[in-house]
Amino acid sequence: MSLLLQGLALGVLTGGLYALLASGLSLYFGVMRVVMVAHPAFLFLGAYLTYTVHTVFGLDPFLALPVTVPLFFVLGVAVQRLLIARLAPENLAMMSVLLTFGIALTIEGLLGTFYTGSYKSVSMEYATRSLTVAGVHLPYDKIIAFWVAAITLVVLFAVLVKSRFGQSLRATIQHREAARLVGIHTERVAGYGFGVGLATAAVGGTVLALITPFFPASHWVWIGKLMAIIVVGGLGSVIGAALAAVLLGVVEGLVLVTVDATWATMMFYVFLFLALLVRPQGFFGGRLAHRF
Amino acid sequence: MRIASRGLPLLVAALAIAYPFLVPNFYLVYAGALTVMYAAMATSWNLLGGFTGYVSLGHSAFFGLGAYGTGLLVVRAGVPWVVALLASALLVTVFAVVVGIAAVRVRGASFVIVSIALVSMMNLVVQGWRSLTGGSTGLQVPSPFPDLHRGQTHMVFFYLFLALLALALASWWYVSRSRFGAGLRAIREDEDKAESLGVPTAAYKVTAFALSALFVALAGGLYAVWFGSLDPIFVFSILIGSYMVLMSLLGGVRHLFGPLLGALIVAPAGEYFLIALGETQIHLTATGLVLVLVVLFMPDGILARLTRRRAGPSIPDETAEQRLQGVAQ
Amino acid sequence: MARVLKGLAVISICALGLTACAKTDEPGGAQTPGRQTGPVKIGISLPLTGDFSEPGKGIQEGYQVWADQVNAKGGLLGRKVELIFRDDASDPNRVSSDYESLITQDKVNLVFGPFSSRLVIPAAKVAESYNMVFVEPAGAAKEVFEQGFKRLFYAAPAIASDHYNYLADYILKLPADQKPKTAAYASLDDPFAQGTAYGLRDKLAAAGIKTVVDEVYPPETTDFAPIAAKIAAAKPDIVVGGTQFEDSVGLVRALQELKVQPKLAAFSTGPTLAEFPAAVKGAVEHIISPVGWSATATFTGNQEMVKRYKEMFGGEANEDAANGYTVGQIVEAAVTAVKCVDPTKECQDKLADHIRQGTFDTVVGPLSFDDQGRPEQAHMIQQYVDGKVQIVLPESAKTADIVYPKKEW
Repeated sequence: MSLLLQGLALGVLTGGLYALLASGLSLYFGVMRVVMVAHPAFLFLGAYLTYTVHTVFGLDPFLALPVTVPLFFVLGVAVQRLLIARLAPENLAMMSVLLTFGIALTIEGLLGTFYTGSYKSVSMEYATRSLTVAGVHLPYDKIIAFWVAAITLVVLFAVLVKSRFGQSLRATIQHREAARLVGIHTERVAGYGFGVGLATAAVGGTVLALITPFFPASHWVWIGKLMAIIVVGGLGSVIGAALAAVLLGVVEGLVLVTVDATWATMMFYVFLFLALLVRPQGFFGGRLAHRF
Repeated sequence: MRIASRGLPLLVAALAIAYPFLVPNFYLVYAGALTVMYAAMATSWNLLGGFTGYVSLGHSAFFGLGAYGTGLLVVRAGVPWVVALLASALLVTVFAVVVGIAAVRVRGASFVIVSIALVSMMNLVVQGWRSLTGGSTGLQVPSPFPDLHRGQTHMVFFYLFLALLALALASWWYVSRSRFGAGLRAIREDEDKAESLGVPTAAYKVTAFALSALFVALAGGLYAVWFGSLDPIFVFSILIGSYMVLMSLLGGVRHLFGPLLGALIVAPAGEYFLIALGETQIHLTATGLVLVLVVLFMPDGILARLTRRRAGPSIPDETAEQRLQGVAQ
Repeated sequence: MARVLKGLAVISICALGLTACAKTDEPGGAQTPGRQTGPVKIGISLPLTGDFSEPGKGIQEGYQVWADQVNAKGGLLGRKVELIFRDDASDPNRVSSDYESLITQDKVNLVFGPFSSRLVIPAAKVAESYNMVFVEPAGAAKEVFEQGFKRLFYAAPAIASDHYNYLADYILKLPADQKPKTAAYASLDDPFAQGTAYGLRDKLAAAGIKTVVDEVYPPETTDFAPIAAKIAAAKPDIVVGGTQFEDSVGLVRALQELKVQPKLAAFSTGPTLAEFPAAVKGAVEHIISPVGWSATATFTGNQEMVKRYKEMFGGEANEDAANGYTVGQIVEAAVTAVKCVDPTKECQDKLADHIRQGTFDTVVGPLSFDDQGRPEQAHMIQQYVDGKVQIVLPESAKTADIVYPKKEW
């Protein structure tokens, strides 16, 4: 029983992290209807930059964020305006996958060239301790990851709901033509949307660097998992993706402590196929997903 | 002009047949066989991708299943390799029908995600099912021609892959002229309209999906008996799947010979990048940049660029209405 | 059409004409006398990129140190050694095509092995079918030696399942009140990593030490906390990880977080790498690991290698580099003894026969091989004592006493 509780607790914490990592993917899909396969590669680019800041300058990993977040925002705008926007609209979905796949390979190759193929890790003192509540151990690094994810997501939602930019962004997501008719510069907004999405990758990368060792090819593992999350959550729905992330995190945690790691990873794909068979638009809303 | 367009494929075919005798060493025969294998797989990928526009990044799932199916039938059941190859390809096709029914319910991005997931799933299953597949230890398949020298085996398989390529090309050509092909093209242009005009889109898509899986599975089966060592993380690799896409796209998905041309460029180029830039990982960057450039500047492929005229059978540019008339006739 | 037919005819005649002479230059074919005086070319395919790239790098450096020293001594049979590296990108297709091209196109005199059990078998198949001797530094899984290879030799003291032998002996000889009663095993799904953990598991289980957790995780696992939770729930006396690097760090951290305090913690591979102590910080104390090589050992050439490595690459030599170097030493001894270094069947047969029968002085100690190419010696056991790597088993090689039970992490 305590093992199940432990699995549940770990699952919730991990699920929170998944929510952060998947939020960018949902944004891209929302604004441009594209699947950004390179998102995990950018996550690890963020992780490597965090590593550099930490080892070369001896700073706390989170102090990398003032540099990486704006940098990634600009990169995101550039990727959207210079690359994605050039693709022909009729088969954007397919071509964008291939384009971003190429970007992912490019990043992996560059990381391997600059940082070599060896494992890097950022170890903080708190990374190996945990908080014990009623016999359940909550690792500090996972708690930190969870709260960073939660704060980032709250900020993201606040921006999306409250700010003028967020309103135009949501309008663009919901109905591009209509948004343009009411005077929103949808192209520019889409670019910023991409920038915000990639900025979440900067935060996610720093958190990943804290909790796991990484090497240039690490991103492959995450592509399938994160894709499954956004489909289960309903493509394009940031809230749906967050809920799906926590759900899948918990399922993974429980299966890990009761069965084994192979089945735990398999659960992501089982849920993906279930979602497609039962509710192709995803379990959590996302009415626009059906036709894409 | 006519002679050029008719004669060129024949000349290339003749060169291909003579190739193993023209090259100075067995490595080049081996590399040639791999290239022809990729060409056959890219062409069969194009049975789905070219006609319907559905991009599958996960065709290596069928490659791996074909390979493991054949290998397991040979090793565990003692079936002769030819029988094993055909039986396993058939089983994979049935599997593809089942998967296809679920997969083609979704379009565009979701479909790509499903195809990626399929590869990861198959990798987990085969790696996890240790008692049957040998798991991470791999599966060692005995050579079907134990008496042949290694180089001679390469030559045999070069021709087997060449035959498979011919079969895949013939199928594509046949489909492109059939009503079925017209229906698939209509799906590519406007799926909803095609459906409303009575094209059985779901059945057509599943058929194309399965047909395309069949040839890839055959390639996988041949690979298993030729190569002799199977390892789940290598046969169920997204990279293999993405090579099929890159080759088709580079050559031109609307052309019969597009994927073949793409394979003839990508496979040797990959080799070159690896040897020239092999000391660092920058060769991955080179591959990635090539992909980005092709997608951005040549999404219709080389054949569409080079010739506005039809170089061999291809999918002409026409509106969905024209195409649907073709279906209705 | 006529032109095409004519072209076809020309091509087929060319083809027929060429068939006779095209591929006589395979190994074992005609010898050009000029080659006897050129450099000795050694072909090697290594995973310089991809999943196994880091250990691939270490082995490459080991090979380079060896070549450097051989050339400083005047080369092999008076000929300079030239290493030709290819990147296999951790892909078996590439491994095969690399060796295929090295042997038939570059016409190398010798081949050295690649890295990882997963890549050794396809590579050895190529070498074997071209009759090349194949001494390899990394294929330790027992399956490698069950393929019927006749020219494959593993250049390290023992195969994977024997890595923990000294530790197993030590544990089983403990007095009854100290002897552990339960053990937890977690292993990466990989033939080498599993081989090490299961070798120990089978010996301990046979002696009545109960296996309370036996977990296998796929290579893509990044989150080890739930696995550690399972281990925590079982409260084992000892924890054994069949690991490589990433997962050994992940497991150690997760076990700490879940407050698992075993009396003994052993992990393969990870703790032998220089990055390990930095990655797990203070938890490194008293972690045990099997190791085939020690920087302080005085075996033939070891100190020279350590020194030269530092001069060439700056850092400290590691086990992978030592394994690469060992391959070079064995082949060098064989070539010197049989006095030939050609890719012909005749010469390669002589080399293989010599290696199978002899005992070789190497940086990992004297090595000899059985008929399947398995080495017949044993791995040592290392432990972090006061933050430094010490050899604790066997008695004859130890630099410090084994600490058991370990201090809490």
